[in-house]
Amino acid sequence: MKVTLNWLKQYIDFNWSPEELTERLTMLGLEVEGVQKVSGAFDGIVVAQVITRDKHPNADKLSVCRVNDGNGERQIVCGAQNFKAGDKVPLILPGASLPLKPGDKDPFTIKVGKIRGVESLGMMCSHEELLLDPEAIGLKKEDGLLILREDAKVGQPFGEYLGRSGSDVVYDLEVTPNRPDLNSVIGIAREIAAVTGNPLRIPTFNIQHSTFNVQDCVAVRLEDAELCPRYTARVIKGVKVGPSPDWLKSTLEKVGIRSISNVVDVTNYVMLESGQPLHAFDYHLIAKDAEGKPTIVVRRAAAGEKFKTLDNQERTLTNEMLLIADERKGIALAGVMGGANTEIKDSTVDVLIESAYFAPVNIRRTSKLLGLRSESSYRFERGADAGICDWGSRRAAQLILETAGGQLAEGVVDVHPKPAERKQLSLHFAKSKDLLGIGISHAEQVSYLTHLGLEVVSQQPGDCTFRIPSWRVDLKREVDLIEEVGRLFGIDKIPSTPPRGALGTNAFDTVYDQIGEARRILAGLGLNEAQGQTLISSAEPGMRNMESVMLANPLSSDMDVLRPSLLPGLIHSLRHNVSRKNHNVALFEIGRVFTNVNGQTKEQRNIAIALTGQRALPFWSGGERDAKFDAYDLKGLVEEFIEQFGLRGVLFGKREESTALYLDSAAATLGGKLPLGEIGQLQPTLAKKYDLRDAVFLAEFNLDLLLAKRNPAKSFKALPQFPSSRRDVAMLVPEATTHETVLQTVKQAKAANLESVDLFDVFRGKSVPDGLKSLAYAFTYRAADKTLTDADVNAAHEKVLGALKMQLKAELRA
Amino acid sequence: MAFLDDIEPLKHTALQELNAASNLAALEQTKGAWIGPNGKFTALMKQLGTLSKEEKPAGGKLINAAKVELEAALASRREQLEVKAAVPQEPTDFTLPGRRRALGKLHPLTQVTDDIVRAFRKIGFAVADGPEIEDEYHCFDALNTPADHPARDSQDTFYLATKNGADTAPLQTTAVAAVDRRLLRTHTSSVQIRVMEKQAPPVRIIVPGRVYRRDNADATHNPTFHQIEGLYVDKSVTVGDLKGTVEFVFRELMGSDVKIRFRPHYFSYTEPSYEIDFTNALVKKMGKDWLEIAGCGMVHPQVFETVGYDPEVWTGWAFGFGIERIAMLRYGINDIRLFYENDVRFLEQF
Repeated sequence: MKVTLNWLKQYIDFNWSPEELTERLTMLGLEVEGVQKVSGAFDGIVVAQVITRDKHPNADKLSVCRVNDGNGERQIVCGAQNFKAGDKVPLILPGASLPLKPGDKDPFTIKVGKIRGVESLGMMCSHEELLLDPEAIGLKKEDGLLILREDAKVGQPFGEYLGRSGSDVVYDLEVTPNRPDLNSVIGIAREIAAVTGNPLRIPTFNIQHSTFNVQDCVAVRLEDAELCPRYTARVIKGVKVGPSPDWLKSTLEKVGIRSISNVVDVTNYVMLESGQPLHAFDYHLIAKDAEGKPTIVVRRAAAGEKFKTLDNQERTLTNEMLLIADERKGIALAGVMGGANTEIKDSTVDVLIESAYFAPVNIRRTSKLLGLRSESSYRFERGADAGICDWGSRRAAQLILETAGGQLAEGVVDVHPKPAERKQLSLHFAKSKDLLGIGISHAEQVSYLTHLGLEVVSQQPGDCTFRIPSWRVDLKREVDLIEEVGRLFGIDKIPSTPPRGALGTNAFDTVYDQIGEARRILAGLGLNEAQGQTLISSAEPGMRNMESVMLANPLSSDMDVLRPSLLPGLIHSLRHNVSRKNHNVALFEIGRVFTNVNGQTKEQRNIAIALTGQRALPFWSGGERDAKFDAYDLKGLVEEFIEQFGLRGVLFGKREESTALYLDSAAATLGGKLPLGEIGQLQPTLAKKYDLRDAVFLAEFNLDLLLAKRNPAKSFKALPQFPSSRRDVAMLVPEATTHETVLQTVKQAKAANLESVDLFDVFRGKSVPDGLKSLAYAFTYRAADKTLTDADVNAAHEKVLGALKMQLKAELRA
Repeated sequence: MAFLDDIEPLKHTALQELNAASNLAALEQTKGAWIGPNGKFTALMKQLGTLSKEEKPAGGKLINAAKVELEAALASRREQLEVKAAVPQEPTDFTLPGRRRALGKLHPLTQVTDDIVRAFRKIGFAVADGPEIEDEYHCFDALNTPADHPARDSQDTFYLATKNGADTAPLQTTAVAAVDRRLLRTHTSSVQIRVMEKQAPPVRIIVPGRVYRRDNADATHNPTFHQIEGLYVDKSVTVGDLKGTVEFVFRELMGSDVKIRFRPHYFSYTEPSYEIDFTNALVKKMGKDWLEIAGCGMVHPQVFETVGYDPEVWTGWAFGFGIERIAMLRYGINDIRLFYENDVRFLEQF
């Protein structure tokens, strides 16, 4: 909503500077989104009166004058001869510039200076200097100064004296949707009235009605009172459509509305002034009955009905849309836009003014379906004021008579089947203290509300009942009144109180910390944390097998599905990095994934890892410095994470086959049963598709499960008191024998005092036959209560060796 | 007795050789040659038996003294040589870059969220959570959003496709709100409802999380972004409490020179409602007086009634703000998309 400083001042007195007004409006909840100063004609030129005129001490043709500029006296040196003390003249003040003459590049700016040794604080102007034709403005044409009318007001801006638009300030305000009443200049002025306590000046009427009656000119048939609770019509005959006067044109232009013609401009002006959208029809283009009287029909459009709006677009309507029609055709799309067929033209002589109230939701739907928005639809959809239809109509009639002439038919056709009863609300003064936290006197509370237009119905010591004005559709319960009191009192004046009260609890609180712990472990392991998009493309790899959660209204096919996995996002991030020459990337992400399970959407927290490029930071020496990530880097990270996070018994079972996503992978389970996640190497074909040249390693786990299954409890275990004995074993086993199998075999051997089994070498190649591999383990034996003898250890170790030979067919090497 | 006279010259030579040993291996060899089992000095000691009973004590004393001296010399030389051996073969240049171990970084949004959470926890707030897939009831209806409110538009809110392929309920039907469509939550405020439905007052929670709006990605928009919501419900909670808490939290987050301004505004689920502006040196440097940072207000009695809290007994406030915005301000980040690209050169800066 745009409004100007001068326009506001027509309805309310206030002496704030433009900057202060910005601040005040903002603190009233009218956020100022823009302030634009508009310069007027003859800025810096005022009407001044010559008080004395004396000869210049150093020049015959110059005089030294004392001049009253309205604020005080100043000394002016002047070369003109045609004036005397008492004359009123235009005076340009230092710093201001004369109007640009054709051909001039820079304006002539007045400075304080000495003329022949005498200081001059400005310049009195001639009509040539002002580029004015004196006769055109009713003054005498003479050489020298332009002498103004005797009744000119000293100090008045000269532009204003001439009736030209003066400088102004345009404010662009953000009006919140709960306050449709603020989409009007009067509405905003009312807010200022409430803060300042100054009275609001609402324009009054003094209209000469003609001898003919509106009832003879038009009838209104309201067919859908739900969509149009009120419809009023007035008729003005004999107007002369033409350009608007300057004040009207410039007021509209300042707030960004193009001037069209006096009649149309008036409807726009009154809409901006009061918030009541209006429409003017060419009366003679409305179909008439046999007696020559037209009927306005307010009805729903027929499905598929065609209608050409003012912008010359033919629109196809639905039967949900409200149409203003005559007996034959539609003439306006109710509340949105008029029809081309009844538009006001230069030839129009008789005008019908519509001022109505349309139901907000319907206007919004119509406007949205047609993709057609107007100042009118904007106001109706936010909720106009059914109470001011007639006022708006009369105001428009008055201004049309003033600007376009004509005669107003006596009376109004006002169809308003069920006038809404005005709401009443009670305010308990103590309640506002309870909520706002500050005591505001009862009188002050009542005063704020009455200045906003609320009427006191009854007042008791502890409360007050108000009648709510029709334009305040937002005031629905007591708390809304308290808000108004707090707003006008000033939120800045409410003292802050330090936090107090009960401590919060929530089951999720500890989960938040546990998730944070997972993040810190992974960051500590050298992975950077990523955050991916939740919305990804259903064309991503691995997406097709999933029961994906699709969007009904995606922005694009790139973002049409809720991620069922964090991996597509991480792969994208790898690509983003590699394409920018960040070749070595180690990322993790913790986030939600979404799937459809048995028709129910399921949200789950996952944790995922992606690695590509070199495993270590750059270094300048060493044979392994360029080594790339491999599967065991991934496995090591995952193991360390799992251990640090407090999970035990996680097993990795290799997948026999490649999957769509993985070339080589293993399922992580809890004890071989509960699936926790998957780790592996990305299919090279996919890696290539994403321009990833180095091998890519991925892992993804169900974090919710990890959280449920972790046991982070720690307890102290006494340090060993007795020495341990170690036995190393190297053996050849078939390639298919896994480390896990070896461990299980050893475990089943139940060797006494076996403390740990550590793999320290895996070897293939020279001296190892094809299809076999050499595994070397260190077995550590230790008893809690004594030093083991060689015999003790050997006996236990024999059981292990036996099991390895028997069950794994291991060929033991020295 | 002649061999006793050899002690002194032998010792002398031994001492010279020990001190001449240039490395630990040579030293051990020299040691063997003199005081090892077959060493020259050891051989001398073996001759002690040839001495007469009277000569033995004096001879033994002599030999022992010499041996102690030799061993001392050996120990001292060994220490010298050990130190020498520990000196690196190649000189160390301490200006060379070292062999570093990577430490990963937490995402800047995580860091900012943690800081916000820390500030709230200092004053007794607990972290709560709720689903990102919501229904219209929790995202809009229960928050007092009118049935025809534009926020519900499929222009602005993501709706989930339904099994039978039906699109979002068409707008022209009058029964828009009749179907409880499922959607991606547009704000964390839906969690207010979820928590109040489950938990009796008082409530003192914060809710960080992802939210979704149907905005095309640009420098200031991403369809996915993060918010944090605060909700406090108790007896006799006032606007003053709201101000006090907000001021505390923003001072913790943005520094003690921060100034906070409350401005009346409108949200359907709070009354009165305010927007919060802040300013500090940074804002002034941007050439602005104030920067909008959050929305807040006193919980609307209608919302309390909806979740079954008695608005005559309980009052409360809620506030919410965007985490990206705080992070962008704090670090001077000028494009929200950077948060979701995961460029390591970006991530490693925080």
